[in-house]
Amino acid sequence: MKTGMIVDDAAFMRMRLKDILMFDFKIVAEAEDGEQAISLYREHRPDFVTLDITMPRVDGLQALSQILTQFPEAKVIIVSAVGQKQIVFQALAFGAKDFIVKPFDPDLVKKRIKRLFMTAPPK
Amino acid sequence: MRAEFANPFIKAVVEVFEKEADIKLTRKDLKIRNSPQPSRPISIIIGATGHVRGQVVYSMDDAFAYELTKKMLPNKLSPDLRKMLNSAVSELANMVTGRASIELAGEDHMINITPPAVCSGMDVMIDFLNIPTLALTFLSSIGELEVNIALQTDDDL
Repeated sequence: MKTGMIVDDAAFMRMRLKDILMFDFKIVAEAEDGEQAISLYREHRPDFVTLDITMPRVDGLQALSQILTQFPEAKVIIVSAVGQKQIVFQALAFGAKDFIVKPFDPDLVKKRIKRLFMTAPPK
Repeated sequence: MRAEFANPFIKAVVEVFEKEADIKLTRKDLKIRNSPQPSRPISIIIGATGHVRGQVVYSMDDAFAYELTKKMLPNKLSPDLRKMLNSAVSELANMVTGRASIELAGEDHMINITPPAVCSGMDVMIDFLNIPTLALTFLSSIGELEVNIALQTDDDL
């Protein structure tokens, strides 16, 4: 089973995402800000990360950049309420694999995470 | 103050409450105030910087916050109810502001929003920004929600 880390400053949202993902993935860590996310990523090396943007101390875009600088193989999906075009472009330019805007459809979140691990069919 | 700032919030409030909590909100009224000072005991304050800046302050009664949290987390209200309640209402305010900011930012601009701060009780003193404010009130089956929009752009200065 693939392992995941949930990063969101709202306990409510971490609980919601965990409930959605727990049957298909093993959630090995939860972080409530970007600083904690970087440190827990280093410790657990999860297969994927769901990352909020608006968070205290270190925000999601800063955390994204730092995680990918240290671990270029990291698979990070942004799950944020702030879906402005410029911010989506910035997150994807930093190396996020996908961007989900809150409020989200639970099935969509699962589908997008599963898509991270699909291999392209041979040509 | 711009009246057109109201529409993205009206749309976002209605959509987010329906999707996240299955609650239908209808608009009651719109007033103009001198600041976003809330009139109900639970307030969620979110700041904005960038293309549009200022504050958005959501305000509700305890009963509204409790019923809202129950709808968002059925069978999951933990012993630490106050913490979960604050987290749920602030996340909802974050989603509404985030969604409204998509429309306000348009194609070319960026608006940064701060993490929500929750205040409980009417005897808390907070100096809000003195920005002309659009105060929207919404009605629902669980009570009323107030949304105070104190936002401006460079052109308003």
